[in-house]
Amino acid sequence: MWWLIYGRTTVLLTTLLLVSVAVGTGAAILAWRERPKPGASPLVALLAAQAWWSTCIVFRLQAATIPAKIQWLQLGWVGVVCVPVAWLYFALEYTGRDRYLRTPYIAALAVVPAITVALVVLGNHDLLVIESYTIGTDGVVRFEQGGPWYAVVAGYTYLLGLCGVAAIVELVTSDAVAFRGQGVTLLIGLAAPWVTNVGFLLGAFGTAGVDPTPIAFSVSGVAYLGAITRYQLLETNPAPRRRARQLVFDGMREGAIVLDTDGHVVDANGYAIDALGVPRGAVLGEPIERIVPEYDRLRDENTAGHLRLGDGDEGRAYDAAVTDVTDVHDRCIGSIVTFHDVSTYVRQRQRLEVLNRILRHNIRTETNVIHGYAERFGDGDASRIVQERAERIEAVGEKGRQAVELFERTRETQTARPLAVILDECVEAVRETHPDVDVSYDRPADDIAVAGVLAAVFDNLIENAATHNEGDERNVTIETRVDTDDVAVVITDDGPGIDTQETDVIRDGGESALRHGSGLGLWIVRWGTEIADGKTEFSHRDPTGTEVTVTVPRLDGA
Amino acid sequence: MSSQTDSPSLTWDGTRSVYSTLAALFAYGVRAKDALVYSSAYLVFIAGVEVVTAMIALSLPLSPAPLVIALLTFAVYVGDRIADAEVDAATSPERAAFVTRYRRLFSIGTAAAYGLAVALAILGGPTALAIALIPGAFWILYASDWLPSLGRYFSRLKEILVVNSAVVALAWAVCVVCLPLAYANHAFTPTAAVVFGYFFLDTFVNTEIPNLRDREGDAANGVSTLPVVFGVRRTRHILYALDLCLVAGIALAFHAGVLGAAMTVGILVGLGYALCLAWFVGRTERYGRLAIAGEAKHLLVVAVVVALGAAGF
Repeated sequence: MWWLIYGRTTVLLTTLLLVSVAVGTGAAILAWRERPKPGASPLVALLAAQAWWSTCIVFRLQAATIPAKIQWLQLGWVGVVCVPVAWLYFALEYTGRDRYLRTPYIAALAVVPAITVALVVLGNHDLLVIESYTIGTDGVVRFEQGGPWYAVVAGYTYLLGLCGVAAIVELVTSDAVAFRGQGVTLLIGLAAPWVTNVGFLLGAFGTAGVDPTPIAFSVSGVAYLGAITRYQLLETNPAPRRRARQLVFDGMREGAIVLDTDGHVVDANGYAIDALGVPRGAVLGEPIERIVPEYDRLRDENTAGHLRLGDGDEGRAYDAAVTDVTDVHDRCIGSIVTFHDVSTYVRQRQRLEVLNRILRHNIRTETNVIHGYAERFGDGDASRIVQERAERIEAVGEKGRQAVELFERTRETQTARPLAVILDECVEAVRETHPDVDVSYDRPADDIAVAGVLAAVFDNLIENAATHNEGDERNVTIETRVDTDDVAVVITDDGPGIDTQETDVIRDGGESALRHGSGLGLWIVRWGTEIADGKTEFSHRDPTGTEVTVTVPRLDGA
Repeated sequence: MSSQTDSPSLTWDGTRSVYSTLAALFAYGVRAKDALVYSSAYLVFIAGVEVVTAMIALSLPLSPAPLVIALLTFAVYVGDRIADAEVDAATSPERAAFVTRYRRLFSIGTAAAYGLAVALAILGGPTALAIALIPGAFWILYASDWLPSLGRYFSRLKEILVVNSAVVALAWAVCVVCLPLAYANHAFTPTAAVVFGYFFLDTFVNTEIPNLRDREGDAANGVSTLPVVFGVRRTRHILYALDLCLVAGIALAFHAGVLGAAMTVGILVGLGYALCLAWFVGRTERYGRLAIAGEAKHLLVVAVVVALGAAGF
């Protein structure tokens, strides 16, 4: 029986090594079943390498001859050098840093292990193992290890271990309990063999020259098993997080240029690179003033706004902003310039301005001329009809101008005006133009304020109620219902009512060649109410007439 | 008054209690049977017994070999059950449901079993370790997409007539015979060759019996087995022929002095039992039970051998 043949130290070491093999193999199988999830395959490699290392030590202890012991000692190095590479591969893949796992990087990482394996295969040298040994009182053969390549491998192992830790540490600070648990158990899994190896190198263990590091890997195996079963290691993995954020950054329809504290460009997404029209390499590392000459103006809140990139007809306008990037201590560690294309919007604005001028000036001038010449016709019907039509053309022009001004105001900050003042003006105007209409007006309190844009809305509604009214007694009533946050203005008339088709078109928000309203007035009501963040409701009155309720938020801070 | 009313109640409660206890025991029994059959746990015991049979036949000293093979059997067979649970849902819904219900437990259990088996195999030296890794290597190659071309090649072996069962029988015979040899550091003697041949052919026969149940599914999936290619009746004849070949081989080995009397009798009794089971092929549709009965033959063999040994043979 082997435990009777060998000494107590050998039996103890063998037992512990076999435990580490059993735990490592079991954990490797569980990890194998999780493939192709990120980190599963390198974790299998890590655990298999550790199991092989332990196995070689057991065979070395059992070997009867010195050459056989040296052979197993050498073969054990295959496992030793695979452990740190597999660990780093696992840490990078599991935390989503897979861009470092391209073939050139992996090949570079594999150079030291490959040389080590080659040295093992070649044999007959003392680069790894110096073939001098002593036999202890416990019967264990102690080999001198520490050839020049031994130091290289040791340093390399610690370096890769540290790099892996740097990647895993991020998990410990995660908001998710599962990731924190995974991070802590993974670090425990690494710390156990690490501490053991340091202790062995310092001569702290009485293991007769046998490196007990792989034994400590049984602790790693238990930690990994715990992470797999309790914290869903490999099942719930953080790998997509980094890629997803990068994907959003690269794919968003907005330019983003990241700057360090000195104003040098450290990153830029694809949209920004395309907008700047220069290669990525010419942007990264450059001062932002060289890339975006207007940067200082954009940084100043008072002068921030539009940014123009490109020359001539190909130039485009962007709405730009600069936002500081801060760390957990609220210290500024850089800034990000974001910008999105507003060229279409700017062009539309220019067209509106031209349209506004034509509606305000040209139509009025032309209709005045028509009016003047029509008067020369005398008092006939032809003269009257031409003058009436000219007035209607001018009225349409006026409505168009109102609509254009409405859109212009959407760009401006919403200005609050007293509701009473707005309604006073509208009522006064309609009483002036329609003296035969009885306008009943319930004047609201002076302190109630609403968006100034509503003047056009109420003007149209009240004028509409007065104009499209028939009969001997024509009444228009204006009431106000005040709530804590909102105010409702109810305009009623006893006219024939608005055609359902008109209100349907306005409600649906679109016209076609076959389905359209008769003018611009109701559109101005809808657009104006929308801009004021309110709503309009139309209802028929019994027996006749219309009730229009405009409900808008109060801006007086009530 | 109260005693009069209580007595019948107590009697009734007592009867009910006995019934509920019996029902609970029956339920536990059914669950234990399910656990043994659906998880293939009975195979674990039989696998250990096969190794013990080989060790007796080869006069090998006591070693962890039976335990290692038992652990490997559990890991590989239950691992297969886990991997094939979705496919099994169509052909064996109860078994698939059982495996799915205890999937996590089985997953950890099989991993631990394989880890322990490998660790124990290391005590037998490099050869024992290599043998212990054979079933796991086959399992990985069959069940995985790792190394796709190699995986596809091994997957295709499953579809080739005779080769599919022969690969399983070969792996099994190597493990059962060579592992205890490796532990004992014993040479591969003519006796070992006879025992190896016996386990190889016997496992081949036992592999083809479940194929009778799965013949329709195998035919649909393009897997060539004896029942798919030759039909049920001819398969029965082939199984007769294989068992009779074994009888002849064992008799010759005894005649040549390679195999002891007790082992020869034990194996021949087992083969007689196997021939009886082969008679049922085509005459029953309970091939699942027939397969279990075929595996249980090893219990009969070792019982006969131990009994004869105790009687001084």
